[in-house]
Amino acid sequence: MSLKNNLTKVDRRDAKLAMAHIYVAFIALLLGGLAGLLQVFVRSGQFTLPAGIGYYQVLTVHGVLLGLILTTFFIFGFQIASVSRTSGTFSNGQRRLGWIGFWLMTIGTAAAAVMVLLNEASVLYTFYAPLKAHWIFYLGLTLVVVGSWVGGAGQILRYAQWRKENKGSGQRSPLLSFMVVVNNLMWFVATLGVAVSVLFQLLPWSLGFIERVDVALSRTLFWYFGHALVYFWLLPAYMVWYVIIPKVIGGKIFSDSLARLSFMLFLIFSVPVGIHHQLTEPGIDATWKFIQVVLTFAVIVPSLMTAFSMFAMFELRGRELGGKGLFGWFKKLPWKDARFFVPFIGMLAFIPGGAGGIINASYQMNQLIHNTIWVTGHFHLTIATTAVLTYFGAAFWLIPYLTGRTLTKSLNNLGNFAAILWAVGMTIMSSAMHIAGLIGAPRRSDYSEYGGAQQAYDWIPYQIAQAVGGTILFIAIIIILYIVVKLAWFAPKGEEEFPVGEVHENGGTTPAILENFKVWLVILVALILFAYTIPIIDIISNSPPGSKGYKLW
Amino acid sequence: MANKKKSDENLKGSLYAVFGVGIIIILLWVYCFDLFINRF
Repeated sequence: MSLKNNLTKVDRRDAKLAMAHIYVAFIALLLGGLAGLLQVFVRSGQFTLPAGIGYYQVLTVHGVLLGLILTTFFIFGFQIASVSRTSGTFSNGQRRLGWIGFWLMTIGTAAAAVMVLLNEASVLYTFYAPLKAHWIFYLGLTLVVVGSWVGGAGQILRYAQWRKENKGSGQRSPLLSFMVVVNNLMWFVATLGVAVSVLFQLLPWSLGFIERVDVALSRTLFWYFGHALVYFWLLPAYMVWYVIIPKVIGGKIFSDSLARLSFMLFLIFSVPVGIHHQLTEPGIDATWKFIQVVLTFAVIVPSLMTAFSMFAMFELRGRELGGKGLFGWFKKLPWKDARFFVPFIGMLAFIPGGAGGIINASYQMNQLIHNTIWVTGHFHLTIATTAVLTYFGAAFWLIPYLTGRTLTKSLNNLGNFAAILWAVGMTIMSSAMHIAGLIGAPRRSDYSEYGGAQQAYDWIPYQIAQAVGGTILFIAIIIILYIVVKLAWFAPKGEEEFPVGEVHENGGTTPAILENFKVWLVILVALILFAYTIPIIDIISNSPPGSKGYKLW
Repeated sequence: MANKKKSDENLKGSLYAVFGVGIIIILLWVYCFDLFINRF
């Protein structure tokens, strides 16, 4: 393989590893999407699940398959291809780590899924105590996490090899690979919380070695992981926005420094903020809740930096194409190109999604929406539109690139149609969820009429709207899966581009500190110790007797 | 003429757009804060 090819083509063996992850991701999309459709039907009050299937079982299938499996597997497929494309082909050892990670994750997923389908693990995707699952479910999740560590290590080692080979060259490391490494490091640090909870609390409890567990500690360890999980979903979408989209629209990356700085800020502010999910938790002191709320608000800084960077990249390109006036450049963007249009809808959804997130994290105001279906509406905008539509937009060029096929014009147009359908369905469903939440409708409940309670009658029209929106979304999922199948096996053979943007000539030089992982990791660890040490000591030293496990349905 | 050309090369649109996003966030926050004050 020539040097040029080596820098622009992903090695076939790496492509196979990436595609293995992507297949699992899209199988999860089909099953998880079907479970979501059943849920909105049940919540409409017009449908009862057949054959003894439980609502909470379906809810767990939906959450675990879409929130944990679709995301993690797609992200890993995308990251493997990205590192191979920008840092170079994996060594046999690095690729072996990738395969070991893949099989551990796949076996773990299968084990956890079987337990959920047998109704032995209807503990929702948050899976903290006191709801108790079969030990095989926890073991399965452990394998998923350990597998992601092993696979992630392979990607980091390839990046480290690039840095070693280019030491002293004065070059900044490839931006896309750098971003992958940031995301993996955040994932390693975040998953430590859930690993501690599963290994020392949930597994021994489920196996009967211990009778009771500390519920507040279990929840706190979950949310230590759980909020960073949100950024593990989002950062790959940001990778596409920062690095891929500039090339797709024919423009340049606005600033390499800004992109790296925003990723490092996400790294340090994603983990020490989990307590903002526990603002109504009685066992945590208000001071520490306030401190973590402040740290949460710090995430707004890199978020708005990203927003500015995107607008600036669009404006520079639009003006280059002749766009005049304050917003004339906007019309010049390639609206018919699914590789741009589909992620763009995701970007738009992040405006109301981010705004809702600020309300969720606003301490006292959290009482307004806590445990209401507003929260479900919120994360269906952030993860299920912003992140997922960006993944789909990326899949439209990544899959044919990896399989040696091409995105045809008709598939491109179908992709745009699916994204419009998604936007319509999600606007209906998510808006209805937000409004119903504000008037008190709970989330995670299979009751629709609440025994004829007067207040519940106000929620019914919104629940029917959710069923309408959810049905439209399921149709969009079927279209997306059709496109994926065509791109993987049936589209015409050819060469699709893996678009990687170049930095704008006025982007400035990138300070070396932005690539100094040691410095940022020390700040991250210091912030975590500051934000979590005293709350966890408080929880352990003042906790009531632990709880037995419950299986309620 | 020179000034007009300059205005087409700036990032004024991006600046307004980001401020627009900020205003949407603040308006939604104020609406929910009003609900919160009325309810609690």
